[in-house]
Amino acid sequence: MGKSKVVMIKGKGALINNRINTKVISLMFKKGLSLLFDCNDFRDALNQLFSPSDRIGIKINTIAGRKLSTNPEISLTLANLLTRIGVRSGNIIIWDRTNDELRRAGYRLNFSGGGIKVFGTDTRRINYEFDLTIHKNIGSRFSRIQSRLVNKSISLAILKDHGIAGLTGVMKNYFGAIHNPNKYHDSNCNPYIAELYETYLIKNKNKLSILDGMIVQYHRGPSYHAQWAKKCELFIMSTDPVAADYIGWQFIEKLRKERGLPPLEEEKRMPYYIITAEKMGLGKANLNEIQLIEYEV
Amino acid sequence: MGKISRRDFLKTVGGAGLVASTIPSSFLIDLYALTPTRKLSQVEAWFYKKLPDKEIKCELCPRYCQLGDRERGYCGARENRNGIYYTLVYGKVCAAHIDPIEKKPFFHFLPGTTAFSIATAGCNVNCKFCQNWQISQVRPEQVENFDLPPRDVVRYCLKYRCPTIAYTYTEPVIFYEYMYDTSVKASKKGIRNVVVTGAHINPEPMKKLTEVVDAIKIDLKAFSEEFYKEYVRGELKPVLDAIKIVKESGKWLEIVYLVIPTLNDSPEEIRKMSKWIIKEVGPDVPVHFSRFHPMYLIKNLPPTPVSTLERARNIALEEGINYVYIGNVPGHKGESTYCPSCKNVVIKRFAYQILKNNLRKGKCKFCGQPIPGIWS
Ligand code: SF4
Repeated sequence: MGKSKVVMIKGKGALINNRINTKVISLMFKKGLSLLFDCNDFRDALNQLFSPSDRIGIKINTIAGRKLSTNPEISLTLANLLTRIGVRSGNIIIWDRTNDELRRAGYRLNFSGGGIKVFGTDTRRINYEFDLTIHKNIGSRFSRIQSRLVNKSISLAILKDHGIAGLTGVMKNYFGAIHNPNKYHDSNCNPYIAELYETYLIKNKNKLSILDGMIVQYHRGPSYHAQWAKKCELFIMSTDPVAADYIGWQFIEKLRKERGLPPLEEEKRMPYYIITAEKMGLGKANLNEIQLIEYEV
Repeated sequence: MGKISRRDFLKTVGGAGLVASTIPSSFLIDLYALTPTRKLSQVEAWFYKKLPDKEIKCELCPRYCQLGDRERGYCGARENRNGIYYTLVYGKVCAAHIDPIEKKPFFHFLPGTTAFSIATAGCNVNCKFCQNWQISQVRPEQVENFDLPPRDVVRYCLKYRCPTIAYTYTEPVIFYEYMYDTSVKASKKGIRNVVVTGAHINPEPMKKLTEVVDAIKIDLKAFSEEFYKEYVRGELKPVLDAIKIVKESGKWLEIVYLVIPTLNDSPEEIRKMSKWIIKEVGPDVPVHFSRFHPMYLIKNLPPTPVSTLERARNIALEEGINYVYIGNVPGHKGESTYCPSCKNVVIKRFAYQILKNNLRKGKCKFCGQPIPGIWS
């Protein structure tokens, strides 16, 4: 197996006065996808991952309120790009755990209207599977959005520090797809995050991993604290979730160092689950096996 | 619908047959008249510390969850909102039932009476063999909840003539504030309070709890830290400490040990535990060895052979424990209470039913030996 490709794409002016500039965001996604797949047109890249008949879930992260959640303009821009390869807008679901969290993050819910769908697992008639999916240390009921409504998914996660796991990234984002994430926070969430990702409902469906680093919370996450949050205006994109998380982790360490904060390991919360995920064969977690492309639009 | 409904709940923990026959039909009518609520409680939790940057540290149980704003503890029933920690399940009951007290099981506590039994969703451990995982291993918003504030619990208790309230089914530690307040209110009306718990709790809250309840049944899930780590996701030591605290408090204590084939059934482990019980809490604490049935995350093991339960019982008796029972094997002789002095049957049971009671004022009617317990 060759190296895993990770694109870190920066977009100057993507976030001005806390407002998203969708033009820049769109450009970032397009260029990032093209670089990831070595092609001139983002559509060629998306066509390698999705087909028009797909039902695609975009799993976002809205736990931390408006200031540190996936901005609606970002997820909707991504969803719109998917429609450009012929995916029906009604077959795209932007989702998270609860409708309340989505609303608090600025989303307008759309469960049954036309266009791109936006709703939480706690929507009546959706909910979690009644039966458990059991895999290694994982025994969880999955969101029916992930298990039934979509056949492919994108993890669009917020890149941030996490008080227990060390890092919230694209793999941990799927904690929001199960009914009992609180049960998997022992020992820095290791090996739980990796084992959850390995379940067939996630590993087989997740096609694209994106870390949203518009604002990066590099300390005291996962909630928002302005004094340790930095505007970075970037996305980290890969088809290898482990590699994306690994690069995200290194980026957080870099920001921490700049601010004179100790490495996560010293605070006993190194995201060891990323190493575990690599050992499990889920992706790459070392720079020798990752091709990192940095680009600014 | 992924939520567990009342009907499912009654099937799950209410059981059928013997148990169902004890429920007054008017109670079911009352239960069905309650409207499910989607609102969780926002009552400030006890036993937590505020930390800088809106973080909190929960000190109710040995997990000591340290959480940022909007985060929930391991139990899923407590949430940090803007630096204040809240219980989300105060008065939000996901299970209410009238059970024989023997079902808890309490065998030395008002035999033949009923307990108004309640639970809220969530648990602070994650036993791989949990029998009620549909309500314990979930977040409160994932089940149907009903508003049942302490005063209503007391009202129902009086209406259905239940002498006792049992906090049970899930893990009462996680609805501590609700249990505590209800106990205080109930005691004033002469209603007893019993707790059915895994006792994964810190000493201070445990001590405070013993001040307001009458009896505590503790599930001792094994006698090794390894087992607790692997199969319970908790620790043994705090449970042993809690057992000692209950004993010291003078409140009635019974211990249940669910015997799981190959995992915690070795004679050595049972002997070690029996010796510890004798040494730390004495020979008069009843010990129940219960039969395991494959459930939740352990479905690859068979139900416990009756011979294994009998072996465990014999070991405990050999070590000198006076009241050793076999649970979940209806009709077994180990369900009955025997006088340690004259060996006659003092209380004859079949499943949760009392067939004969040979106690007279707390003493064996044959030889006059006092039998410890709360009998009236
Ligand atoms: S009671 Fe719940 S929140 Fe508190 S320490 Fe225990 S598991 Fe954590």
